[in-house]
Amino acid sequence: MLAEKYADKIAKIRSKYPDLRSTVMPLLYIAQEEYGGLDESSLREVAELCDLDPTEVKTIAGFYTMYWENDEKGYKKGKYWLQVCTDLPCALRGADQFFEQLLDHLGVEDGGTTEDGMFTVEHVMCLAACDKAPMLQCNFHFLENLDMEKMKAKIEEWRAEAKERENG
Amino acid sequence: MPDKVEFVTIFIDGEAYQVPKGANLVDVAKFYADNDIPVFCYHPKMSPVGMCRMCLVELGNSVDRQTNDIKYNADGKPEVMWFPKLQTACTTTVTHGMAVRTDTPKVTDARDDVIEFILTSHPLDCPICDKGGECPLQNLTMRHGAGVSRFDFDNKLHLDKHVPLGELIYLDRERCIQCARCTRFCDEVVGDPVLGFHERGRSLQIVTLSDPPFDTYFSGNTTDICPVGALTTADFRFGARPWELNEVPSLDPYGPEGANISLSTRLDRDSGGVTIIKRVMPRQNEYVNEIWISDKTRFGHHHSRAENRLSKPMVRREDGTLETVSWNEALNTIAEVLKKSAGSVGAVAGPMVSNEDLWELRQLVELTGGSKLGIWPATMTGAEAVAQVGVGTGTNFKDMGKGTTIVVVASDLEEEAPIWFLRTKQARDRGAKLMLLTARPTKLDKYAACILRHHHGETLNAVNNLIGAVLSSDGFTFEESRAEGFDTVKKAKYKGDEAGYDEAAKMITGAENVVVLVGHEGLTLAQHGDVMQSAANLLILTGHVGKPNNGLIPVWPGANTQGALDLGFSAEATADALSQSVVIVAGADPVGTDPAAKAFIASADFVIALSMFDTATTAIAKVILPRQSVPERDGTFTNGERRVQRFYTAQGLIGDTRPDWKVFSQLSNLIDPAVKVRLSAAAVMAEITKNVPRYAEMSYKNLARMEKQFPDVGGDDLYYGGTAYGNHGGLGVQWPVDAEAAGKKLTLKAVKSEKTAKRKGLVAVPVRRLYDRSPEFSASQMMHQRIPSAYAQLSRKDAEKLKVVEGDDITLVFGDGKVRVTAKVDGSTPEGVVLVPVNLTDNPVPTAPMAVEVEK
Ligand code: SF4
Ligand code: FES
Repeated sequence: MLAEKYADKIAKIRSKYPDLRSTVMPLLYIAQEEYGGLDESSLREVAELCDLDPTEVKTIAGFYTMYWENDEKGYKKGKYWLQVCTDLPCALRGADQFFEQLLDHLGVEDGGTTEDGMFTVEHVMCLAACDKAPMLQCNFHFLENLDMEKMKAKIEEWRAEAKERENG
Repeated sequence: MPDKVEFVTIFIDGEAYQVPKGANLVDVAKFYADNDIPVFCYHPKMSPVGMCRMCLVELGNSVDRQTNDIKYNADGKPEVMWFPKLQTACTTTVTHGMAVRTDTPKVTDARDDVIEFILTSHPLDCPICDKGGECPLQNLTMRHGAGVSRFDFDNKLHLDKHVPLGELIYLDRERCIQCARCTRFCDEVVGDPVLGFHERGRSLQIVTLSDPPFDTYFSGNTTDICPVGALTTADFRFGARPWELNEVPSLDPYGPEGANISLSTRLDRDSGGVTIIKRVMPRQNEYVNEIWISDKTRFGHHHSRAENRLSKPMVRREDGTLETVSWNEALNTIAEVLKKSAGSVGAVAGPMVSNEDLWELRQLVELTGGSKLGIWPATMTGAEAVAQVGVGTGTNFKDMGKGTTIVVVASDLEEEAPIWFLRTKQARDRGAKLMLLTARPTKLDKYAACILRHHHGETLNAVNNLIGAVLSSDGFTFEESRAEGFDTVKKAKYKGDEAGYDEAAKMITGAENVVVLVGHEGLTLAQHGDVMQSAANLLILTGHVGKPNNGLIPVWPGANTQGALDLGFSAEATADALSQSVVIVAGADPVGTDPAAKAFIASADFVIALSMFDTATTAIAKVILPRQSVPERDGTFTNGERRVQRFYTAQGLIGDTRPDWKVFSQLSNLIDPAVKVRLSAAAVMAEITKNVPRYAEMSYKNLARMEKQFPDVGGDDLYYGGTAYGNHGGLGVQWPVDAEAAGKKLTLKAVKSEKTAKRKGLVAVPVRRLYDRSPEFSASQMMHQRIPSAYAQLSRKDAEKLKVVEGDDITLVFGDGKVRVTAKVDGSTPEGVVLVPVNLTDNPVPTAPMAVEVEK
């Protein structure tokens, strides 16, 4: 339950807004991180926390691409959500090849999640960092000036990181 | 259009018009210039969003900036500066000197293009679509669509066509043109945001996640305002084609609001070749329900053709068996009994009994020498208070906004009168202040500016204390000429200093208009009478009487309670009426709905029941006469705002039935051949107009009178307001109250506050739920999932004491009555109270508050 587990975080978010209703977006992020994406039960949970009808919460989750809805996609989001910009300026700097290689390397389709549930890769529209392409956004943090060499190293790093977390 | 507005000159296609400043351009063009600017997303009852672009027009300005006058050229035409781009008319409000062109090639091209664009993702499956024939998109495609599609069929988006949004409404995703009328209706008009848009662009779709899905009492209205066939009701889906239907004006048979409806009927092979109702649609009456109806009104009509309808008269033989007999035999049997009754005759009429029936029933009872005329349920009273200060004629919730205070007393308005709930909420959105004098939280709480919470049963003191606070508020003066009896109020010494009441008093004294809606939750009949009187006093004292949008509206338990009171029936007489030796019960089931009634009627020798269904009352009746449902006949109902309205014969008869007025008239004739048999409901009404002064103006002709209404819906241009029906049945007539009569002095009759008794033990408080198990509603199979199962609601504290948890089966014991229900435990129920919905249980629960024991 988010209310217990993230009591402090939620209290802090609430203190920033005039009414409960306005806290829906930050709370959706918390739910998404906690549950590996949003599904019906997590939407209801957030609705309860913000005193909204679950329908309203669902429309917000559906409107913004930063929210991952398991029910719509049919599967969960990976722990690391890699969003590669392949728009024209990035493509001119080789982002589309980079994207293809990344998919090959992880063995997934565009928008897919690796079998171990670690990575989800998808192409996205402009992230406003064209000058540093190829670039991607991982869990809302930018990684810029990439090539496959750097990427592979990063992937190993993430894997190790995850394992460490699992063990300890 | 509201009055008291400033008018400005605008030019539509070169013609000058005087129109109200600040009004919406689409509305204005239609109303004043008969110019239909096509729309999809715009709806005259909702705020504009400018989403579909169908309403593009050329706009310009003819005003000289220096002088602020309209510039005219030599030949008297305005000199217009046209804006370079087209603009959406639906988001434009009219200003002085505005010029509009709607007939230029530029505008026509734009409309053609928008239609073509919309059709790129619309299946055009009109031949199998329920909306086909009355579809805004279809009509506008005929007007603006290209004859040939430039779009390859296979490229069209194909989506799910049968998505149930709950059991009542189906969504066809392909057909949706994303106008957001349905979502805005739920959100903006009703305040139940249970429909929403999910995703964007071409993936956009309507979703609901409420529990149960599409959880609102008004869901059916979205199917009317949807400009395409994307939303359809489970009731009418694939039921008939609109052009086969005949529209018959009728009335909601359930609620005190008197919602106007249109019954779409057709000769139906599957129903044995009789004319039946295929669907119920709203009929526009801006004074009453505008273009909205509740789902109960829309889907409840199945009771009129239920299989278990009684179809023949029956007489109970000596050995107790029932035998089907001819009308002649049945009526003669009754006439014989009535002749010998020596005046010990009582009558009790239910809330669906029309004015004509009531009048003839009264004639019959009086002919036999009887005088006891009761109503059922006998929960509310206050005819006198209404006669003095009922809301002024011409009252319209639509005109209430800033400056109006609406007070709701002892009522859960959403459950008891959903249309008034909706209109109250909208008045509040327009700036009206809402004050609640209620004993527990209801859905209105979130809209209230002031809540005077009190214990169930102590409503009178709350109203009195409010009067006290008004009297002691600064600058309060009373004009002695207004009413007599002011000294009785002063002498009553109401408390004027209760916390929170001074604020409330300011909301009353400072308001231009005050309307008070009075229900009866938690009140006995006597208490309710006192509350009505006290509420009337409050209105008289503050001068909020005798003009439109001021006065009292009782939240009566049924469609024609007001009519019954007008014609001499009363709740006070009910107990007496039931205790006579011959009792006529029309359209009510007292035995099955209140344990107390059972005790009264036990002393009767001969019960005559007029009923549509087998009930606990017919089970003890000596003669049972089958009643007709509202759609099978004509007649009138009087709503809670005293508006007398007509309903018309719509549906073929089920079985061998007669209207009640005819039955009573024939009985009168059998008893005394000098009494003429009335030949039509209209003739009965003619008799009423002669004998009942307040009904003098209520001839059928007057009741059928129409006037032009705004917005104009139901014409060929259905896209404008959706598929609501124009009114061809009349707007009805309100009878004026004493406060409106010039020179008539009103009377203040102060009611003493009650000593609040120490509360001990639990009290069962009957509450009304919109969806119940009365046979007049529950015959609609499709509603079953929405009707709550029998329950009782307890506070957390009481539940803890009783060791009861949510979902437990418990037994409620009152006196010698018992019912088994499921416990609901929540924070909204006050301590010491068990809320018991009426008409949900198999055994009757009391209709007035009563001590109760809870057993596990
Ligand atoms: S379902 Fe109908 S009313 Fe709702 S958005 Fe679609 S077209 Fe409009
Ligand atoms: S944009 Fe004006 S009606 Fe839709």
